Amino acid sequence: MRLPGTTRGPKVHGLMTRRYEDDLRLFGSGKAKLGLLALVLLYVFIPFFLTSDFWLSVLDYAGIAAIGALGLNLLTGFTGQVSLGHAFFIGLGAYACAQFGGPDELGLPLPVWLFCATLFGALVGALIGPFALRLRGNYLAIVTLGLIFLGEHLFRNLKDITGGNSGTNVDSEASFLGLDFADLSFAGENFSFNQGYFWLIWGLVALVTLLVKNLVRTRPGRALQAVRDRDVAAEVIGVQLGRYKVGAFAISSGLAALAGALFGSYQQFVSPDEFGLVLSIQYIAIIIVGGVGTVFGSIIGALVLGGLPGLIDKYSDSIPGVSTGSGDSGFISVFSLNQAIFGLLIVLFLVFEPRGLAAVWLRVKAYFKAWPFSY
Amino acid sequence: MTGTVEPMEAAHHERPGPSEPSLLEVQDLGLRFGGVKALDGVTFDVRRGELFAVIGPNGAGKTSIFNCLNGVYRPQRGSITLEGADLLRKGPAEIAGLGVSRTFQNLGLFENLSVVDNLMLGRHHLMRTGFLAGMAWWGRAKGEEVHHRESVERVIELLELEPFRTQPAGKLPYGVQKRLELGRAIAMEPKLLLLDEPVAGMNLEESEDMARYILDVRDRLNLAMILVEHQMALVMDLADRVMAMDFGVPITVGTPEQVQSDQRVVDAYLGAAS
Ligand SMILES: Nc1ncnc2c1ncn2[C@@H]1O[C@H](COP(=O)(O)OP(=O)(O)O)[C@@H](O)[C@H]1O
Ligand SMILES: [Mg+2]
Repeated sequence: MRLPGTTRGPKVHGLMTRRYEDDLRLFGSGKAKLGLLALVLLYVFIPFFLTSDFWLSVLDYAGIAAIGALGLNLLTGFTGQVSLGHAFFIGLGAYACAQFGGPDELGLPLPVWLFCATLFGALVGALIGPFALRLRGNYLAIVTLGLIFLGEHLFRNLKDITGGNSGTNVDSEASFLGLDFADLSFAGENFSFNQGYFWLIWGLVALVTLLVKNLVRTRPGRALQAVRDRDVAAEVIGVQLGRYKVGAFAISSGLAALAGALFGSYQQFVSPDEFGLVLSIQYIAIIIVGGVGTVFGSIIGALVLGGLPGLIDKYSDSIPGVSTGSGDSGFISVFSLNQAIFGLLIVLFLVFEPRGLAAVWLRVKAYFKAWPFSY
Repeated sequence: MTGTVEPMEAAHHERPGPSEPSLLEVQDLGLRFGGVKALDGVTFDVRRGELFAVIGPNGAGKTSIFNCLNGVYRPQRGSITLEGADLLRKGPAEIAGLGVSRTFQNLGLFENLSVVDNLMLGRHHLMRTGFLAGMAWWGRAKGEEVHHRESVERVIELLELEPFRTQPAGKLPYGVQKRLELGRAIAMEPKLLLLDEPVAGMNLEESEDMARYILDVRDRLNLAMILVEHQMALVMDLADRVMAMDFGVPITVGTPEQVQSDQRVVDAYLGAAS
């Protein structure tokens, strides 16, 4: 059968000629273009104005978290597959970074080790995916939880690669086209490690955001959302469930590994304790707070929560009842306070705003569109 | 099967003659769920361009037939062939690719996606963009999006969905959701369209609108349809042939007049009503 054409030539709606290409532009309207320009300016100039190492490190961690959260949101938010195993793939990426980029190991250049770590995560995801994704809902959550324990076991015992319990240095080169992000000097100016990494990390956030945004607005991304909304109907219209679930898992794992590689390279040291269940739950909190099933929400969530552990650590002295070190008697440790806050945020958002800050933002925007005529 | 933009003359609908080869052949279908026989010895054929109706009281097995045709259920016995291809060996996604599309009795829309995205998903099996091409956007993905968006726009015009383009499907009024599901099914450009109780739960006005859209679709697109209904009125107006079912077994197949006056059909309906 063929769909009939009801009009000839370009579609005319009222007086306007409509071109679908214009509908499909990411930054179509003037306002969107202004917004994009503002973001670019922020990206370029933040490190000039915000030179505090502490605040730059908060933003650097937030950027790393944004990349990981984009991956988890693709799998959980867009495809409806709940995974507790995200930290496992973050860990894989961190150790892969040391292996691919370390000068005593393969010593590959920055773009190559970033790419190899991502690909490695995606391949492991593609291998595990078919087993994990036979299950749905809670069973899937439990199986992916198993990945965390498997990962911790491997990270502790493959001592040659991971350094075992005591961890390993990650000293991969972070230079590209003559720009060493770890020790950046450009046009006669010298920049700190944190300034350089801000540009590196947030540049990658922009790239990954663009890729994920394109994915979710084209055929494969629509198929993922169809699987999430109604899997039987998706199959009946021709979406191969297995293919798309595994694809989402592989891309999600790849992005987790990319975040992990940046994490390792930024900290220059990683140990198995960092890739436990707590990290997975932090990522779940990020996408719930930001907005499940939105690209934008992954980034807001990461900005709000990605730097939180650092902030709590810094200001724990001034929070009453928090013990900060040995011998200091307190009601709760910094580590437990962290966990409690993430847990509380998950509960509060699920109860009061399950669509996250992205939905709050849309409401605020709608309000100001009508402003000053809003009542 | 490609979404070309050329206009097509509205084909005048003629009742297909019995000499034409069948599009779909179903032979001796048997489906059991534990002790429950959902289908038993179901045999029928559907000709090209034909509107074939299946009627029967609730629980007669009408939806189960669709689920077998789609590959959602695996019948234990029988055969189903579409243009000679054995559908029982194929999965739902593959069957969609062969030209079978369907609406669901209890709606099967993608609720969080817009009307346009739901219709674009109908085009999924006609498109090729994979994960990497989609992420890259420039190149194949963009061209395909524009091209298929045009086909989707024609479905929107045909079913008068213009006011709803960007609204999420789950937020639409019930009658519009039913219409959108019909739209998604025809966006697939099927050879065989399966409609499962398209007017269930609608008031009289909505039912009449839907009947008009179904007739429009039949007249404009040259495709065969199977219409499942448990109310007889709609079927008697629209169908070329009717099969009546009861307890998973076909009672009779014939023209609407023949079936309507068949005493066994009347008994089945009275039996179900009492
Ligand atoms: N998935 C299933 N599991 C168990 N029984 C089923 C299933 N699907 C259908 N049935 C049974 O098969 C019979 C026919 O159901 P169905 O095809 O839905 O009837 P209809 O669409 O004519 O109302 C009913 O007895 C129903 O309970
Ligand atoms: Mg039914």
